[in-house]
Amino acid sequence: MTDTQISRVRMTGISKRYGALQSLDNASLNLMPGEVLGLVGDNGAGKSTISKVLSGAVIPDSGTIEIDGRPVSFTSPAEARAARIEMVYQDLALCDTIDVAGNLFLGREPKRHIAGVPMLDKKLMHERARDMLSNLGIVIPDTWMKVENLSGGQRQSIAIGRAASFDPSVLIMDEPTAALAVAEVEAVLELIRTVSRRGVSVILITHRLQDLFLVCDRIQVMYEGRNVAERRIEDTNIEDVVNLIVGRKFAARSAGHQASHNQAGHTQERGASA
Amino acid sequence: MSSEPNAYSSHPPRMRETTMLDKVIANGGVMSIALFFVVCCFFFAVTTDAFLTAPNLLNIIRQSAPLLIVAAAMTFVITTGGIDLSVGSVLALTATLSAAALQAGIPWPLAIILMLALGGVVGLIQGYFIAYEKIPAFIVTLAGLSVIRGFALLITGGYSIPIEPTSPFVTIGRAWVLGIPAPALIAIVVLLAAYVVFNETHFGRYVTGVGANAEATRRAGVNTRRVILWVYILSGTAAAAAGVILSARLGSGSSNAGQGFELDVIAAVVLGGTSLFGGRGSLVGTILGALTVAVLANGLILSHLSPFFTPIVTGFIILVAIWLNFRLFKGGAKGR
Repeated sequence: MTDTQISRVRMTGISKRYGALQSLDNASLNLMPGEVLGLVGDNGAGKSTISKVLSGAVIPDSGTIEIDGRPVSFTSPAEARAARIEMVYQDLALCDTIDVAGNLFLGREPKRHIAGVPMLDKKLMHERARDMLSNLGIVIPDTWMKVENLSGGQRQSIAIGRAASFDPSVLIMDEPTAALAVAEVEAVLELIRTVSRRGVSVILITHRLQDLFLVCDRIQVMYEGRNVAERRIEDTNIEDVVNLIVGRKFAARSAGHQASHNQAGHTQERGASA
Repeated sequence: MSSEPNAYSSHPPRMRETTMLDKVIANGGVMSIALFFVVCCFFFAVTTDAFLTAPNLLNIIRQSAPLLIVAAAMTFVITTGGIDLSVGSVLALTATLSAAALQAGIPWPLAIILMLALGGVVGLIQGYFIAYEKIPAFIVTLAGLSVIRGFALLITGGYSIPIEPTSPFVTIGRAWVLGIPAPALIAIVVLLAAYVVFNETHFGRYVTGVGANAEATRRAGVNTRRVILWVYILSGTAAAAAGVILSARLGSGSSNAGQGFELDVIAAVVLGGTSLFGGRGSLVGTILGALTVAVLANGLILSHLSPFFTPIVTGFIILVAIWLNFRLFKGGAKGR
């Protein structure tokens, strides 16, 4: 990693309190261009909150955010989007009864004018949707299909594809592989790799630790609103990460330096797929 | 057992392009009402001589024009997941006020514009409470149903207000243009416009979006509250148009007009396969639903049966049609 590069995102000293609960306590986050950062921690560790701060949905009590070296402060999701930060929400934000192309273009449908009246340009919309999906390697047989008839993995792919189509510089994904079939997880992870190869920085929040080792460059562990550890993916293994998450970090730290064959296998796999 | 690797690679893809049958099943709501419509028409065509004649069919459309117009607007409302119970009252208010306005010497084109504007304003007020104050549409329009009917009764003291038969106003309800009754013509134009708006414009798309997932549509940058506000303005205006047409056809404005009209409209829309939960609407279905209700009323009279059979039969058809949707068509779609 080149240390001279400017960080895509630098969040420092972020704190957020909800009543009696200190959700974030002097947390920080650093993300390089094109990097995939795995954000892990137990429920309530603050990983969702810090990603919401970055996406403008939560306004922090204190702390600074820099995007590409410039300080910013978001007061709404719209401002974060204007800074090219996209978030794929856990509940997908898709309309079930609208077709695939319609969902990809919801809110920005191409127009054509018939006798001066603006109408949906469905032909163009579906053409562009097909291009968009095939560029990202998403397999959907028919862009006219309603989203309700798609599988969980396909729906997730549509949601990610939609976010990616806004040409984001940062893409935040909250549990994109939760509740997916095995083969579908692989497709979604492949999609994350595709997106990051294009220079998009990705923040991946997940409880599926095995996914981290397939796509992430780096892992940041949070515990009760604080950063507790950061690991290059090649310097760690699942056991280590689990220990960091549950808080037995001192006992586990030494394990991170032992190169188990399991970990080497993961590194190889990554190398082959990249 | 050499076929084991093939077990993964050789089977055909499970997803395929949508076939005709898929589309039929997906549009199950429209299919089941189309079936009922055809069966009703066939039944009355066989059992009565008068049913399948051009004058009678035109008469059906003429009489059902108010229903068709308001049902078209109601399809938008219900597709957003809302409901408008006040349309019958708005119809009564505009019917009486248009008669009163003509009596007061207001020129008829102005009277019509005023009535449509009044309907729009009523929709605007109700839509404001629903979209911006987040009060359930059922509550707001139930209050509207009561208040607006009350105004109609208050203004007329419960009496009908006659309209001069010589006034050009009555031609809206009585004239024939190119061999088609004027109300039918108006209804056809409204339905065509509604079909295009619903299926081909951004507004129509956002109406479906609001009903399917309002939060997702809002996050996509759509002003969902304005979409909701507009559907109630539409239904109010449509109800006003229906009131004008009705008073023009009958030659009087009665504050008791359109009692239970909102239920006929909702029945027509729901019969047409539009989901009361929102997100799923069909204007073709609504047209078929409204025409089925109209054909039933007409056919039962022609069969020399008591007209009081109409609500009984209509009710049964609603139940059976919706049941068919759930069991036959939807079951097929979800079972894949």
